[in-house]
Amino acid sequence: MATYAEMQQIYDDIRGDFRYDHELNGCLNCGICTATCPSAQFYDYSPREIVQLLWTENVEQIYDAMQEKIWACAQCMTCAARCPFKNSPGGLVAIMREVAIKHEMQSAKDVLRPFGRVMLKLITTGNQLSPDMIQPDHFPDWGPNIQKVEGDLRLLRKAIPVKTLQTVDTAWEVSLKTSVEMYTIWEMTGVLRSLELMDENLFDVIEDFIDEKREDYEDWLEEQEEDEEDDD
Amino acid sequence: MKPTDQTPGNHNTSAEGTGTGAMKPGFHNTDGQGIAGHGSFFQATDLSPEDAVRATDWVRKHVDRRTIDLGDRMDDVREHMEELEKDGQIIIHRVGDQHEPVSVKTLFGWDKKIPTKQLWHHKSCGQCGNIPGYPTALLWVMNKFGFVPGKDYLDETDQTSCTAWNYHGSGIGNVESLAAVFLRNFHQAYISGKQHGHEAGHFFPLVHCGTSYGNYKEIRKYLIESAELREKVTKILGKLGRLVDGKLVIPEEIVHYSEWVHVMRNRIASELQTIDVSNIRVTAHVACHYYKMVHEDAIYDPTVLGGNRTAIITSMAQALGAQVIDYSTWYDCCGFGFRHIISEREFTRSFTMDRKIRVAREEANADVMLTNDTGCVTTMDKNQWIGKAHDQDFQVPIMAEVQFAALACGADPLKIVQLQWHASPCEELVEKMGISWDEAKKNFHEYLKEVEAGNIEYLYNPELAYGSKA
Repeated sequence: MATYAEMQQIYDDIRGDFRYDHELNGCLNCGICTATCPSAQFYDYSPREIVQLLWTENVEQIYDAMQEKIWACAQCMTCAARCPFKNSPGGLVAIMREVAIKHEMQSAKDVLRPFGRVMLKLITTGNQLSPDMIQPDHFPDWGPNIQKVEGDLRLLRKAIPVKTLQTVDTAWEVSLKTSVEMYTIWEMTGVLRSLELMDENLFDVIEDFIDEKREDYEDWLEEQEEDEEDDD
Repeated sequence: MKPTDQTPGNHNTSAEGTGTGAMKPGFHNTDGQGIAGHGSFFQATDLSPEDAVRATDWVRKHVDRRTIDLGDRMDDVREHMEELEKDGQIIIHRVGDQHEPVSVKTLFGWDKKIPTKQLWHHKSCGQCGNIPGYPTALLWVMNKFGFVPGKDYLDETDQTSCTAWNYHGSGIGNVESLAAVFLRNFHQAYISGKQHGHEAGHFFPLVHCGTSYGNYKEIRKYLIESAELREKVTKILGKLGRLVDGKLVIPEEIVHYSEWVHVMRNRIASELQTIDVSNIRVTAHVACHYYKMVHEDAIYDPTVLGGNRTAIITSMAQALGAQVIDYSTWYDCCGFGFRHIISEREFTRSFTMDRKIRVAREEANADVMLTNDTGCVTTMDKNQWIGKAHDQDFQVPIMAEVQFAALACGADPLKIVQLQWHASPCEELVEKMGISWDEAKKNFHEYLKEVEAGNIEYLYNPELAYGSKA
């Protein structure tokens, strides 16, 4: 349990985000956001409640909502489209999630654990999803007929008439240079640091992967230079 | 379906059509099956045309007033972009005459330019990874129009996901990273023509994913509003070598593929369509991130659904001559949830079955649900089988509107539309359109042997994809 000062700091970080004033303009408690919210139908979650807690600066209840409730939001932004005050409860939740990660809250770690595979894919390849992730073993609830033609995944992907899509471990073929640029973005924007706070093991795997790719890219650049010299 | 408020009092007591509840535009159904646009509980008022106008006039005035008020209150980010460009802070990647744009209206009546040619395909990881028929159907339609790959469009390897699925799902990432990714990808779009002998700005980005589209528009607003954010990402883009004259490149319009389909719909129908789809009952699910994020930029057309809902998807189905059938939960999300589809699947499948599939089946008796985004197809397509466990044995074929359009234009259901990756009963729709699924599947198995032997058919020369080599 956090101290009041820590909870206050968390609230200050939420309110300090430059988007905060865009996303919160007032609240009449009309509840149209909750009435239209998909998550409110299945979880103990109400976008109206989130807005009210922030609007009334209830730091303890805000902290409490960050334990579980904010992770129920489906981020569809239906609430934002409906709010007569032009609030974005979904946008506020996004800010609160970022702050939960920054403060290394256990709720964030718990929630992100099953997301590791996507994270690994995204950070290392620049794609968030790949064909080899969509296999029947991973999604038994999708049923036995997850696709209509059985066969070797590699062959079925080769039958897609677009070269960039004939991949198995990425959604499309991403150039090495592009991936290396992504790593720079992750580093310079603090995303890798966030990841380290959340899951050190995953971070280590990703760091090794990035190092390897960067070496590959350096080698490729050297080869290019040598080729150019030979041409000269 | 034509909006009923466009034809007040235009009732027809002997509804025509080929299926139960099938409607001709503007005609009301009094056979107890409801009316397209209102669901089975609807009862016509039988007002005279004059009375109907009188009854609805005040609503129209109210709506118009709301439109004006909101329009005044809301900034058009493009105007601020012009100011920043004049100040020498950014370069606007403009939609020029060479892109042969079509002007459309958005929610508040603002103009938006949709380029129809010289497009840089900004792919979707979920589509390419899971529903490849999205991009293949789109490229196929472009080829049918005679587009020249490498000149009229480009699909290349130098692009990343927008990373917003991850952000909305996990909270890992931040505005700065999202902005840097946006600017990196769109800078590449801006310069991509050079390696093919064209000027900078030749190719204009066409965003395939609904979440990328919503995210990029949101991020663009933040970039324009925040000098601090611009300063931070300028350093990053500088390090990547992705500034032009030291400036950020920001697109004049952010354009979704379904907007391209919308503006091309009449040409698709008149020039390419080969199959009559007037017997097909279509329901539409528009992706939340298409019209609920930065909603002022979504396309609304007074001739489509009375301008009361965004026009895309419905406009395509109407142009093809399909029956567009309404259902009461049209506004609901699909249940994707970003992290929920991965780790809280009980929510995703329950919501999608209860609020979308069941309703589309029971209320609309739909032959197909058309959508325009990655997560929506995945969610609604893949989660139908599990419904049986809860006595919800409802099934509706799910696909993108561009896949449906390609089918109507004679595309092969497997080789081009790639329906083999779908779990929902798309073969039923295909058969109803008069295409033999068994024949198509047999041909596809033959084609797989050719693929194995290295004889692969491509929509464009693969070498075009490797502009940057590495």
